[in-house]
Amino acid sequence: MADAESEGSGGMDAQAKRQVLEALLLAAGEPVSAQKLAGVLGEGTTPSEVRELLDALDAEYAEQARGFRIEQVAGGYQLRTLPELAPFLQRLRPQPPLRLSRAALETLAIIAYKQPITRAELEHVRGVDVGAVLASLLERRLVRIAGHREVPGRPMLYATSRRFLEVFGLSSLADLPTLREIEELLRERAAAAAGEAGGETEPEIAAPAAEQAPADDAEDEDDDFDPDADPGFEPPITTH
Amino acid sequence: MSSESPATGAGQAVPFEPLAEGGAACSIRLPVFDGPLDLLLHLIREDELDITDLPIAQVARQYLEYLELMRELHLDVAAEYLVMAATLAWIKSRMLLPPTGEEGEEEGADPRAELVARLLEYQRFQEAAAELAQRPLLGRETWAPPGVAPPPVPESEREIEVSLLALLEAFRRAMRQAKTSGHAHEVVTEAVTVRERMVAVIDALEASEVVEFESLLRTPDGGWASRAVLVATFLAILELARISALRIYQSVGAHGAPEGPIRLRRAAEGDPRARFEAAG
Repeated sequence: MADAESEGSGGMDAQAKRQVLEALLLAAGEPVSAQKLAGVLGEGTTPSEVRELLDALDAEYAEQARGFRIEQVAGGYQLRTLPELAPFLQRLRPQPPLRLSRAALETLAIIAYKQPITRAELEHVRGVDVGAVLASLLERRLVRIAGHREVPGRPMLYATSRRFLEVFGLSSLADLPTLREIEELLRERAAAAAGEAGGETEPEIAAPAAEQAPADDAEDEDDDFDPDADPGFEPPITTH
Repeated sequence: MSSESPATGAGQAVPFEPLAEGGAACSIRLPVFDGPLDLLLHLIREDELDITDLPIAQVARQYLEYLELMRELHLDVAAEYLVMAATLAWIKSRMLLPPTGEEGEEEGADPRAELVARLLEYQRFQEAAAELAQRPLLGRETWAPPGVAPPPVPESEREIEVSLLALLEAFRRAMRQAKTSGHAHEVVTEAVTVRERMVAVIDALEASEVVEFESLLRTPDGGWASRAVLVATFLAILELARISALRIYQSVGAHGAPEGPIRLRRAAEGDPRARFEAAG
């Protein structure tokens, strides 16, 4: 290791580079782009080489059944623990897990697909007031203010944040299923529901949803956020 | 909530507990449906109705029955539900009338069309939300290494924490210059909140660990921000300093006196947003 460092990247073989990359991802604390990693590795290394090395490293992790993998998140790479190990990690960190109410998720989804979007437009889609939900999403920094629309009243525009990509493990917004794919899913579900007896697609779609959505997801959003307790600019994220 | 994804059909999930006599005394909080559109979609799903050819009379009846139930349960029926009830009644009446072609309306336009379009759109986003909810979420299903602490401030840079007075002075200077920047006076009511500016400051600090105080008071084109933004930004910075999400520095000159621009630095213990969120 010390040898590799003193020689610079020129003398590093793929094995040594993988080792450095692993260390960088461990220490970075946030997703790091292939470009940045290439720069850190030095001279000869190109971003595409970094991508190949990371793919190889990730394949190694998979092969050795490690507890984490390399994920592409928010335009960069990050080490992340395997979702199936979540119960253990939750026991390790007894803090309340991230909670998102159904209202919060729906509002996020609308913003993600229609950004930048005004509050009035959001409310038109959902058919309800979204003030409290929006405030909560802003506080959690899943949503950011993306300026004003230059119309009378200059309403504020909302967009999803980099943090949104990080939390949802998306490499970019393009990672989201397209609305056409969403409609496809809806159609499949409707078809499956119609032909209940012979429905083969249904279990595949429904099962992971049931598994992965913790009970508290659909609870009253007031548990997450109490608009009445909002004291001016005191961030009202409550600890539950 | 055991067998369903969070974004679809919360409706079935919450059973109605009939109230005991005198039930008005205990207030129950059951936002069973997330608004009138959600309720309508639930009714449609339950009866496997065709959204594009909505049997409006049937849906309107069930909708009203549901509102009645909510009232009996002493649930607050939000205004939005009543507006939708009126809309349904209107559509129903229009369906009964022969098309008149009055008021320049399109011949044969389906009075349900707008509602159907809204329902379809909302349904799409409910599905999109369900898809989002299935992803392994950071902090719920997956975790990432927190990273190493940022390196200490290099000795050569020798910084001291800025006193409140120095900060106030810098702010006053900005306010004075902003006032005399010679633009024609333009009355714009600007809805700017301290919270918004806190988010903006944190965003800036996330993009770069050190940010010049003054740069936060300027617009992207280099001019001074409006007075409302200046004040809100200043309060936001103070608040963030109070909750230790950032620290405020200035370089030390040759004689030990502070000099040069005032800089904001992300709090050392990692993520400013962690502090921001924890402060609540």
